[in-house]
Amino acid sequence: MNSALAQPAPIPWEALLPLIAVATTGVVAMLIEMIWPRRSNDVIVWVCIVGLAAAAGCVVYHWNLPALESFGPRFDNAQGSVGGGLFLHDRFGQIIQLTLIATAFLTVIFSEGYLREKRLAFGEFYPLVMWAAMGGMIMATSRDLLIVFLGLETLSIALYVLAGLSQKDKRSQESALKYFLLGAFASGFMLYGISLIYGATGTTNVAGIPALFSLELPDPTAVNVAYAGMGLILVGFAFKVALVPFHMWTPDVYQGAPTVVTGFMAAASKVAAFAALIRFLDASMAMKDVWIPILTVLAVITMTVGNLIALAQKDAKRILGYSSIAQAGYILVAIVAWAKAKGMPNLTIGYETVAFYLIAYTVMTLGAFAVLSSAASKGKEGTLLEDLYGMWRRAPFPAAMMIVFMASLAGVPPTGGFFGKLFIFFDAVNANLVWLALILAVNSVISVAYYLKIVQATLRDPEVHPTKFAPVNVGLFATCFLCAIGLFAIVLFIDPLKSWLGG
Amino acid sequence: MQVVFAAIIGMLYAGAVYMMLRRSIVKLIIGLALFGHATNLLIFAVARLVRYNPAIVQKGDSAPIEPFADPVPQALILTAIVIGFGVQAFSIVLIKRVYQTVGTDDLDQIRGTDS
Amino acid sequence: MLLAVCSIFALSIAAPFLHRIAKDYCAPLLALLPGSICFYFISLAPRIAEGKPVEEKWEWVPSLGANLTFYVEGLSLLFAILVTGIGTLIVIYAGGYFKGDAASGRFYSLLLLFMGAMLGIVISDNLFALFVFWELTSISSYLLIGYNHKDEESRSSALQALIVTGGGGLALLAGFVLLGMAAGSFEISAINQSGPEVVHHSLYPLVVIGVLVGAFTKSAQFPFHFWLPNAMAAPAPVSAYLHSATMVKAGVFLLARLHPSIADTPVFVWTVSIVGAMTMLLGAVMGAISTDMKRMLAYTTVSILGCLTLLLGVGVESALFAFGVLVLAHALYKGTLFLVAGTVEKLSGERNVKHLGGLFSRLPALGIAGSLAAMSMIGVPLFFGFVAKEAIYEAALKATNMSGLWIAAMVVSSALFVAVAILVGIKPFFGPEVRELTVKKAPALMLVGPLMLSVLGFAFFFLPDLLGKYLIHPSSAAVIGDANIIVLKSWHGLNAVLGLSVLTIAIGIVIYRFLPKLGSVSESSFAKDPFGAISVYERSLAGVLRFGQWQASTLQNGYLRKYILLTICVTTAFAGIVFILHTNWKSLHLTFDLRVHEAALIIVMVAAVAILVRASSRLTAIVALGVLGYAVALVFMLYGAPDLTMTQLCIETLSVVLFVFVLYRLPQFIRLSRRRTRLRDAIVASCVGALMACLVLVASSEPADSHLRQYYSTKAYEEAFGRNVVNVILVDFRALDTLGEITVLAVAAIGVFALLKLRPPADTEGAA
Repeated sequence: MNSALAQPAPIPWEALLPLIAVATTGVVAMLIEMIWPRRSNDVIVWVCIVGLAAAAGCVVYHWNLPALESFGPRFDNAQGSVGGGLFLHDRFGQIIQLTLIATAFLTVIFSEGYLREKRLAFGEFYPLVMWAAMGGMIMATSRDLLIVFLGLETLSIALYVLAGLSQKDKRSQESALKYFLLGAFASGFMLYGISLIYGATGTTNVAGIPALFSLELPDPTAVNVAYAGMGLILVGFAFKVALVPFHMWTPDVYQGAPTVVTGFMAAASKVAAFAALIRFLDASMAMKDVWIPILTVLAVITMTVGNLIALAQKDAKRILGYSSIAQAGYILVAIVAWAKAKGMPNLTIGYETVAFYLIAYTVMTLGAFAVLSSAASKGKEGTLLEDLYGMWRRAPFPAAMMIVFMASLAGVPPTGGFFGKLFIFFDAVNANLVWLALILAVNSVISVAYYLKIVQATLRDPEVHPTKFAPVNVGLFATCFLCAIGLFAIVLFIDPLKSWLGG
Repeated sequence: MQVVFAAIIGMLYAGAVYMMLRRSIVKLIIGLALFGHATNLLIFAVARLVRYNPAIVQKGDSAPIEPFADPVPQALILTAIVIGFGVQAFSIVLIKRVYQTVGTDDLDQIRGTDS
Repeated sequence: MLLAVCSIFALSIAAPFLHRIAKDYCAPLLALLPGSICFYFISLAPRIAEGKPVEEKWEWVPSLGANLTFYVEGLSLLFAILVTGIGTLIVIYAGGYFKGDAASGRFYSLLLLFMGAMLGIVISDNLFALFVFWELTSISSYLLIGYNHKDEESRSSALQALIVTGGGGLALLAGFVLLGMAAGSFEISAINQSGPEVVHHSLYPLVVIGVLVGAFTKSAQFPFHFWLPNAMAAPAPVSAYLHSATMVKAGVFLLARLHPSIADTPVFVWTVSIVGAMTMLLGAVMGAISTDMKRMLAYTTVSILGCLTLLLGVGVESALFAFGVLVLAHALYKGTLFLVAGTVEKLSGERNVKHLGGLFSRLPALGIAGSLAAMSMIGVPLFFGFVAKEAIYEAALKATNMSGLWIAAMVVSSALFVAVAILVGIKPFFGPEVRELTVKKAPALMLVGPLMLSVLGFAFFFLPDLLGKYLIHPSSAAVIGDANIIVLKSWHGLNAVLGLSVLTIAIGIVIYRFLPKLGSVSESSFAKDPFGAISVYERSLAGVLRFGQWQASTLQNGYLRKYILLTICVTTAFAGIVFILHTNWKSLHLTFDLRVHEAALIIVMVAAVAILVRASSRLTAIVALGVLGYAVALVFMLYGAPDLTMTQLCIETLSVVLFVFVLYRLPQFIRLSRRRTRLRDAIVASCVGALMACLVLVASSEPADSHLRQYYSTKAYEEAFGRNVVNVILVDFRALDTLGEITVLAVAAIGVFALLKLRPPADTEGAA
């Protein structure tokens, strides 16, 4: 057996460079803050911008690198080849990494005004954002569940701290506490799941799962343990992407956390977790007879509950919190359709629908939170719907952008959100899930009502005292602009983009 | 011993869940710590228990002598213990902060509700 | 084509800036573009009449079948001319209506946005492109209805219109996607040539539901009719343009355009006919008993839309012919009347017909326009409305089913139209003066539109050959092919149809006489909400909202414990079911050999947990936790994991120290929960424990054969030269994990640091 062992693959630095760049940027930013405390905000921002640009450059420079697995024993056993590297550097991973880098980039540029207005700590904010992004990037490329877990923890812990960044604000503290406690709980589930998978397959690499099932006569006990582990891992993911009924932290945390953090959290953690989830599911295809029904049910209740509760909200951040739950439900529909289609002849649905929707989701969510962050003033977050009244007059550009983002989230044509939903709808119908597609459509109708509430609020004239809006700074302006451009650009170039995503 | 182990782990989980459902944050954190112990033991048990023989290569051998404890889950648990500690330290400091800001350790009073 | 649509959109973006420069001259300037596009479409007429459609294709998302394809045949041409032609007049009219309003740049912008989208709908061949334009009209309509956004009523009307039409639009999208899949193409021209394929497809019922809901909501068919009268909160140009001439016709246009492929089933025919007839009657009755001019016109528009729908349901050749004639005639006279009503309201501030009269001396031009349009609407010979009325009677006579019923319905509603037409178009000008009104002078720009439209309604009566050949016939040919040519005639001679027309006018005049006696009806609850459609809408909205609130308060109550409880329950249930179903319990072989020291250790652990759970002081709890931690460390030692023991011991000590330090100042444990809660929690906890115990049993009952175990234990010394395999794994084989672990720790440390660094603010209430 030993003779069949191959040498570990050499370390592919070129594929790891983006990660290293982002991590280093975080360290450098922290060092700068330590050396010149409180006088170096601009420097830190610029360091982050340069670092992220470099990371993005690294991804793009190695764009055409063939997909490769790195770090790890590739070895064979009697039954065939098992295992693989810890990381898988493929197109999907690159795209998710780029999305995360872009998320961090935009967060860095639009948060400055907000942090200044709310007098929050710069020194912690930027490094933590960097490391969170790094955690997400690790999740997006890893093939090993333990690495996924580490990435998840890096991302999560950074986000716990970020959520509680506003020391004076009770809501922020509550948010951090709840996020942390429930998050730790979820990480726990995940870890238990991983250990069970290890127990069943003898490896923490996802490649072990198909290997287990491809045996001629898989050990029934091992199979059962694998099922249990898969279930627990799903629960862990369900927490992170906020699927009902594991969603309950979302609105409280979204509302309590500082708005810039909420935006980053909503975009980055969902993208990273979905990326890791779909990879895990891809490896667990052999167990799909169990997880497809579970995910289908979760998708239906997630969309429905998220949308219905959102209707009753009065705080824009909370509305967006529930909206992000509903959006997770839509993505789950895409995943279910993808999984169903895998077993069907003449039908191939790749990751591209999910990837497309994740990109669109990131852009519109981040944009919406960027606009919301401009409503913050010294005293309060200013995200109640009433606080947005009069935005149209005071800050016409962000208000107009807000309408675009809401339209996209609601799936109004011709925005990116619309096409994202359309692809999901198509996939679902193609995978013989017409009823699920119809539920998705009905939910989109419901969601229009609450997105519209935000639009109406920005267009309305204030009744009593007008809320003061922080002057729109360059970063915010740029973020809104880039997000809006992004939403339309992906529509104009849908086909190239999709073939690229599928590539 | 396998049955006893299973029972102990079950008991630890039960205790952990019960503690986590209390209103006091401190109890919740203790519950999380219990959860951590339970899980470490779970991983340990799932990888089969082998008495006394650690996976150490003796002088002159090139591999540990069977039966020896599976080293891989041990590495896993080691990671889990350390991370668990990080999380626990963080959580302890966090509750202190929350207590200072909010003035209570009763979770029911720390809530912003809908509506 | 694309150029036409895009140039309108571009102008829409430019409009506010242009308005800032050109001020009141802005409107005529803006009107140049739609005017020239209108002429372009008119110039296409001869070519299309020869049966050569104009096509244009721009690729967009070929993989999805979503492309910007335009396909102009007779039906599209008719609508395109209406959209751009009437649009031109409306823009000019708006110039007068908003004279001196500095903020009206936004209005032009929205109006042009709408115009571009509407033009897109009528000329698109691709279902997706059509849908995109369709939703754009809903949105721009929403923004236009709510143009007076300070007014609560106009806001809620706008929302109502958007929810109904936008919601219907999504049903339409579903219908489109399924239609495209059933037909194998998303190009309407290709779908229409696919023959009976769609009708026999298994998705057909869903296709019909989707398309009909979309079309009915847009075209205000019963029971979705209620949004249209409420949309009259919009400024007059909007009502005239969107809610009479163009947007509301999008629904019937769509049905007509898809008619060849989806109409050939009893389901379609009966649904469409019955809904159409009901809407037609309902609209006419409601129009006649209202007193607000704009609402009367809105209801009669609903009625006409019903009639158009009915004609599509009837579906014979002459019905589709009548469809074209009626669309044209209605656009002309109803557009005029809306503009007249809007002008009267703008100038006098009054729109209740009961209070209007004798205005002719002060507004002569408007009076002429109004009365000409009214005559057309009544169906007096020498007006185009007469031709339309003859055509629809003719169609109803030729209907294959229930011909008598349709005729009766048409006669009744047309007779009611007569009364409405007199009340809105003639009485305000020639009737007795009811009360003193101060009337301003009408700006010239506001007269161009109404005069032009009403004169056309008169002139067209004399041009039947031209219209028939170039507009009407091609439009019906586009729907049902070129079977035989019906000639549009103004005068059919004395026949049954003419008799019906005379009868209609006679009944209408009688109704007009008796209407004042029915005056009180307009205040009744029936008049406000016939058949309860509005209350159903409102109640369902409120119901959804209440359901949302209920969910929010039960699920999302902010209690962390409840969140955890729910999570645990769901997970346990879900894992438990899968696990129990998949386990073969008999195959387990259990071992139970316990040694004395192990038993002692286990007793210590049980005791520690028991003390922990029941502890009433923090210190006790912390000590118990510490004991438990050390016990676990011993377990590791007993089963061959010395590294774990060391780590666990260190960490446990640190944790206890940390706990004692930090939690020193926290309050005592108080038993906060009630007995019942504790019991419930205990039960849940036991279930979880039991499940986990079973899991351990099952998972550890078979001897493992781990590949990694073999791999690492052999390679540890060979390749990494380390004797402690665990250490080798951590620092060599899986060093990256360890790096990650260190990262996690570092991030946690920074978190701790960040939390501790800043002192808690002194002003926080309740700080200990």
